[in-house]
Amino acid sequence: MQKNTDDVFNMILASTVHDMKNSLGMLGESLKSIFERIEVSAIDKKATELFGIVQYETSRVNNSLMQLLALYKLENEQLPFNPSYYNLYDFLHEQKLLHLPLLDAKKIQCEIIVDEDIEGVFDESLLGTVLENIIGNAIRYTRTKISVSCTHSDHIEIEIADDGFGYPEEMIKLAGDYIHGINQSTGSTGLGLFFAHKIAEMHKHKEKVGNIKLANGGSLGGGRFIIQLP
Amino acid sequence: MIFSLAKKSTLIVEDFAEFARSVRAMLHNMGATKVDIVYNAEDAIDACKARKYDVILSDYNLGTKKDGQQLLEELSKYHLLKSNCVFLLLTAENTSAMVMGAVEFQPDGYIAKPFTGNLLKSKLQKTIEKKDALQPIRRAIINKKWNEALENIQQISEEHPKYKMSCLRLKYQALKNLKQFDKALELVTQIVAQRAIPWAVQAVGEIFYLKNDFTKAMDIFKNMTTEFPMALEGYDWLAKIQRQLGQPIEAQITLTKAIEKSPKALQRQKNLGALAEENNDLPVMTKAYRQAVKHSTNSAFSSPDEYIKLTTALTRQVAQGAETIPEKIIHEAESVFAKLEKSFLSSSSARLRSSVAQALLYKANKDEEQEKKYLALAEKNLHKIDEQISAEVSLELSRSLKSLGKEELSDQILNEAIQQNIDDQDFIKKASEITSNHELIKVSKQASQNNSKAINYFKNKKYSDSILYFDKAHKLAPTNINICLNYVQSLLKHAQTLNNSKETIQNADNMLTAMPQLNFSDPRYARYSELSRLVQLMIQNST
Repeated sequence: MQKNTDDVFNMILASTVHDMKNSLGMLGESLKSIFERIEVSAIDKKATELFGIVQYETSRVNNSLMQLLALYKLENEQLPFNPSYYNLYDFLHEQKLLHLPLLDAKKIQCEIIVDEDIEGVFDESLLGTVLENIIGNAIRYTRTKISVSCTHSDHIEIEIADDGFGYPEEMIKLAGDYIHGINQSTGSTGLGLFFAHKIAEMHKHKEKVGNIKLANGGSLGGGRFIIQLP
Repeated sequence: MIFSLAKKSTLIVEDFAEFARSVRAMLHNMGATKVDIVYNAEDAIDACKARKYDVILSDYNLGTKKDGQQLLEELSKYHLLKSNCVFLLLTAENTSAMVMGAVEFQPDGYIAKPFTGNLLKSKLQKTIEKKDALQPIRRAIINKKWNEALENIQQISEEHPKYKMSCLRLKYQALKNLKQFDKALELVTQIVAQRAIPWAVQAVGEIFYLKNDFTKAMDIFKNMTTEFPMALEGYDWLAKIQRQLGQPIEAQITLTKAIEKSPKALQRQKNLGALAEENNDLPVMTKAYRQAVKHSTNSAFSSPDEYIKLTTALTRQVAQGAETIPEKIIHEAESVFAKLEKSFLSSSSARLRSSVAQALLYKANKDEEQEKKYLALAEKNLHKIDEQISAEVSLELSRSLKSLGKEELSDQILNEAIQQNIDDQDFIKKASEITSNHELIKVSKQASQNNSKAINYFKNKKYSDSILYFDKAHKLAPTNINICLNYVQSLLKHAQTLNNSKETIQNADNMLTAMPQLNFSDPRYARYSELSRLVQLMIQNST
């Protein structure tokens, strides 16, 4: 009986998330249409900025919904994991393109440092959801620029760094225990890091398991998010 | 080089009009001038029949009946895509949640919604580049020229090291089709030794299976289901092997797990139904075929089989006096028959199967009047058969007709099927269990022996001897298509050695005319049409 209740809940959750995502899409597209109908002369700097904010917040909600759904499926052993070989140069550039409107609006530089022919084994869709969230946050908290870099030895290491104030000390200390990162006062839900950690752990090779790390400093002097995949 | 879609025709398949328009604007920004929009898969299929698109962007969730993956399968199955057509799936969820990497028909890429024009442009550019680079391989594969494909793979993977993995996967496909199993195994074993990628793991198991090493194949697929519990193809393979090794109950458990994760797959539901039937598990059999019929209506892979099987399960429930009120079951069965006849209007064999199965249903319900009515209809439908009936369906029909007391009709169908399938040992064994007329079986064995003898003579270029034995085989099994085609081929070879060949060629022509009609989709059709062409040519030259 428990099984059936789970199935029903799973179905309702999935269809509701889809519905919410559709609503978001509709919101975004409708707003775009409104924007296109307005005469160019009537669009001032403030309007463009507000439009950017709506776009950004919509994509944030969308990303959170994706993470929630994936975590729910993971809990119920229904999250597919489909690792394959991908070119990291292409992959990371696509991540940047996703955030291009926001980067432009906030005039933030985004540098990608990766060799053109590096290949890695990972689940493209899941890692994409992780990075979309982390990069989005970096853009939110940085001052002038962020960097996305990747190195490849016996494992892949992707680092997202910014020149903002960095992660709070207590968050860095959580190391792996990100569910306790929930903090109403700072607005951190803990979801992004918790999700990133879970997805990193799904990536296994021989005895090794993926991991994430937080640090401050580095070449840009702000926060550093590092994900390692074996 | 500046990327432009100016010369590409593009199709957007998206049920959400606002979004479709937005994607069209993105494509226009990339220079596209020909952009068509349709709102569901059915219209997409019509659009692809009218025009061969260079780029198709399809939403996964199409709201109506078919989803984007099913659309891709149908377009591939009916060859409605150009070999370099780029097909991208737009998805709302994590992409791998929809489709695992091991499925047969793969889109060229996925894009998670919402996306920006820049991202779409980058994806399209890369995908088109890759598709164009790999096109020579794909074209060779479509034409089943596997050796040519291998040569292309060699060359292209050297020129484009970036596409190495895709090339290796295509290479595996070519080697498997060339039946070079050892080479194929070496290739995928090497890949898996580096990394356990789902498609490569599945390929290792597949090759062990093809090499008849079922134990090793079973180990591989057992591991695959633990390591990649959402790669459902692993369960399909595991169940197939378990069934073959005489473990139908284990196989049913395995498939049930896969179905719990994804109930939509038609073939998987049919396999589960067949296993449940073997295990005499009537409730599961009914449920599985009920699901199969439900998904069959949306699928390019639907067949009358699942409908007939569902009514078989329901008929058994009636016969066993199951708890539910029989009227309810009969009502369901009747609606299944109606759906079957509506979906396969032009199939004479579907009508025959339907009428026979209905007679069985009313017999189980002890409704003699209706039983008689449908038996009479079945007899009428049998006379109207204008297509080849497969071995499996012939067994179904003759079994049913025998249990309805129509031994003569049962034997008539069996006789035809035995002639067609003289070399299928498994079928002959099953047929001999149904009929009490053992002459039928004996004749088929003789025909088969004569055919083999004749083939041997043909191989040794003794054409007049081969004609002698093909003639004997043909007289024993006059409707057997293979024997007819073999016979014609020997006659033509023989004619080339004669001074006056007119009569021999005429014999060949008569033989082809008298032969049962071959369906265009029959794999022997190509051989048939080539032989007809030769005969006409030789008739012209001899006069």
